[in-house]
Amino acid sequence: MPGPARAEIKALASLVDELDYYQILEVQRDAPASGIKRGYHDVSRRYHPDANRGLQRELRKNLEHVAKRVTEAYSVLRDPRRRQAYDGQLAKDARAVRMQLAEANSLAEKKALEDHMGSTPQGRRFFNLARTDIDRNDLDSAIRNLQMAITYEPGNDFFKEKLKALRGHSG
Amino acid sequence: MAEIAVGIDLGTSNSCVSIARGGKVEVLQNTYGEPVTASVVAFHEDGSIAVGNAAKANIIHDPMNTVSSAKRLIGRYYFSEEVKKAQAVYSYGIVEGPNHSLRIQIRDEEFSLPEISAMVLREMKTIAEEQLGEEAKKAVITVPAYFNDNQRQATKDAGRIAGLEVLRLLNEPTAAALAYGFGLGLTQRVAVYDLGGGTFDISILEIGKDVFEVLSTCGDTYLGGEDFDDRLIDLMADEFVSREGINLRNDPYALEKLKVAAESAKKGLSVDEQVEIRIPDIAMGTDGEPRSIARTITRDEYSALVTDLVQRTFKVCDEALQQANLVTRDLGGVILVGGSTRLSVIRHAVKEYFQQEPKGDVDPDEVVAMGAAIHAASLCSPEQQDSVLLDVTPLSLRIGVAGGLAETVIGCNTPVPIEQTRTFTTYQDFQESVKIRVFQGESRQAKENEMLGQFEFSGFKKARRGEVRIDVTFEIDSDGIVNVTACDQETGQQASTQLSLSSGLSDDELDEIIEEGRTDRVRGGGDLEDGSPAPVEASSPAPVEAPIPAPAETPSADPEPEAELSDELELLPEPENLLEEAPDLEIDEEAGADALADEEDEADPNAATQPDQEPLAVTTEPESAAGGELPPADLAAPVAESLAEIQPPDSGDAIEVNDLDGSPDDELEVQSGAASLFEEAGVDLSVFGDEDSES
Repeated sequence: MPGPARAEIKALASLVDELDYYQILEVQRDAPASGIKRGYHDVSRRYHPDANRGLQRELRKNLEHVAKRVTEAYSVLRDPRRRQAYDGQLAKDARAVRMQLAEANSLAEKKALEDHMGSTPQGRRFFNLARTDIDRNDLDSAIRNLQMAITYEPGNDFFKEKLKALRGHSG
Repeated sequence: MAEIAVGIDLGTSNSCVSIARGGKVEVLQNTYGEPVTASVVAFHEDGSIAVGNAAKANIIHDPMNTVSSAKRLIGRYYFSEEVKKAQAVYSYGIVEGPNHSLRIQIRDEEFSLPEISAMVLREMKTIAEEQLGEEAKKAVITVPAYFNDNQRQATKDAGRIAGLEVLRLLNEPTAAALAYGFGLGLTQRVAVYDLGGGTFDISILEIGKDVFEVLSTCGDTYLGGEDFDDRLIDLMADEFVSREGINLRNDPYALEKLKVAAESAKKGLSVDEQVEIRIPDIAMGTDGEPRSIARTITRDEYSALVTDLVQRTFKVCDEALQQANLVTRDLGGVILVGGSTRLSVIRHAVKEYFQQEPKGDVDPDEVVAMGAAIHAASLCSPEQQDSVLLDVTPLSLRIGVAGGLAETVIGCNTPVPIEQTRTFTTYQDFQESVKIRVFQGESRQAKENEMLGQFEFSGFKKARRGEVRIDVTFEIDSDGIVNVTACDQETGQQASTQLSLSSGLSDDELDEIIEEGRTDRVRGGGDLEDGSPAPVEASSPAPVEAPIPAPAETPSADPEPEAELSDELELLPEPENLLEEAPDLEIDEEAGADALADEEDEADPNAATQPDQEPLAVTTEPESAAGGELPPADLAAPVAESLAEIQPPDSGDAIEVNDLDGSPDDELEVQSGAASLFEEAGVDLSVFGDEDSES
């Protein structure tokens, strides 16, 4: 399996602190224990520092940071009791976000806000990756990541708009 | 071609070196054509040093100057139980170095343990280079899974002294599993039962094609093949006393002969039903006539001698299975590692316990080195990975808090690499500094754990107690080595340390040792080629050096004479933050430490029953401290706080300290002034007492 691209490592490292444990392991909230394990193995195959050799110091540091978050996520989610406690926390956080959304005046505003944030973990992740790509002027990679984001959120107008703009840019 | 990277199994009794290349894994043989080399270092009169089987042969002639089983001592404090035990068994000088460290005294020279192990590593490196015709600069070195940070750090130092770049310290059972399952695409859970010369480890792994995930690991660093030998030595020595009235244990030469006989009897019994032990002229009788030992021993007799040792390993297995949440039925394979597992008594017992035949196609002496070689090759190859190892930390990482307690930060069997941050606060008004002390182990009592090190953090604003917020970040890397960083939330000021054990070698010392090049005196296999198989008398150009004074004066981070009491304070965990972590850690402890039920169980139910929201593990701390451990006076008198922390007066442990040091009331100030290492010493010394009375 080819390792992740440099840009992806960088982006992920800056993003990983904001992702929840499920997003980090790329599994659904209701994943069974076996799914959690599979997620841990799959993500480790890609992001384990041993699996990505010859990286420059900074990238390596980034990757180590990701790896630590991965083990952290796994060590909580693999334990039913800890997972339950963690789910409770997440639910509380989600309520807070929903309240924020409720304050939005209209449905349209709500959707716009949702679109901006992304409504799925994967969508959010790839959108954020794309954003980092844009910052570092790697438009090709940004387009790829945005396309990925849209495959997860086909109804997200904001993503589509961005993609169109990017395509226009890169000609 | 890529650089050469070898795998080295640095064993207690024997070491083995291997290389993986071109899709094949090969054990490299020494000049005698043997796959394993004795981990024995002989210091000759002429200043030269021999390592390996020739050195081992030297033990009988010169036990005082021949060092075996250094691995049992590496990374230990002088006052530890294992050291006392070793002093009783080995004839070479084991003396105290600076900061409670250990030194091996040979004639008028003193060597640190990493230096001794470096000599063995140097020999393995030479063996590899002679076989390969190329320089081997990089290595993966294996360690027992249950090694603590001090032992790992010291082993890594040994590698550096030997001139090796240590790519990774790999846990022995994990290495064995890798060698067993590499490239086979297995999907299987396996147990690795590793009975080495000095340590016992059990690891449960889940192999998912190319991913090797350690589910749990448990061990006993005080149990190994040598303990099996000791049983037979005891039997022979006891029989000799009752028959001849002579205690062979007092005669180092006789003792070495007994050891050799016991080991070879053990080996014989793994092949034959019975063996004959003959040691002619082992001692002089009172009548001036030489006395001998001649007896046969059967497998049954031997089994009876060691049956409790074998059972002890299964208690550890129970624990490992429980922590992995598995039963023996769930296991698809059992891998035996370590020469002692050739014993039929162990094979039978293992088969019975696990309800299955152990894997037969694995060489217990070579499999660890082979796994290390596979990993070394994969860490060096520029190609993509062939396998991913997901290991765990065997021991809980703890921080010292008020009341002589140690709070878990990272539970045992947590996957590594991992990082955890916890927030602490000051214990006193206008406190200027805090001392952060880090432990490894499964006890809530700080002193019952292994102390990894301590460092002082200061420079934060002076404020009322509880107002300063200090984030302490603990990291365990893929080598299992611990790093600690402290950061003041307000100023962002940082202090960090790679915890160097107070008795370990400082960087300066290490550089000095490397510069000195004492390990260069190791005569590689080359000397043996000129036809002198036992180079006891061989005269090589001996760079006889001036005796090197023990580096006792080296002012390394010396935690001992801590004069200013007022600064030496505990951190209190702060009852905020990390909501989900606090109860979890408690749960971890509960699952992992049923053996030390006492204190822990009392505190845990709280955490277990409502594992949400309330950071119970943290809040219970001050309560239990105020309620139980600390006398009320402690809160009133600021100076007494640190004292109470260092020496909880009412705990059972204090009695042990009493025994050693007299009344704690009188000595409180002195005690605390000498800081925490003494409290460790107190515990351990009292354990020695027990140990002595047993033997």
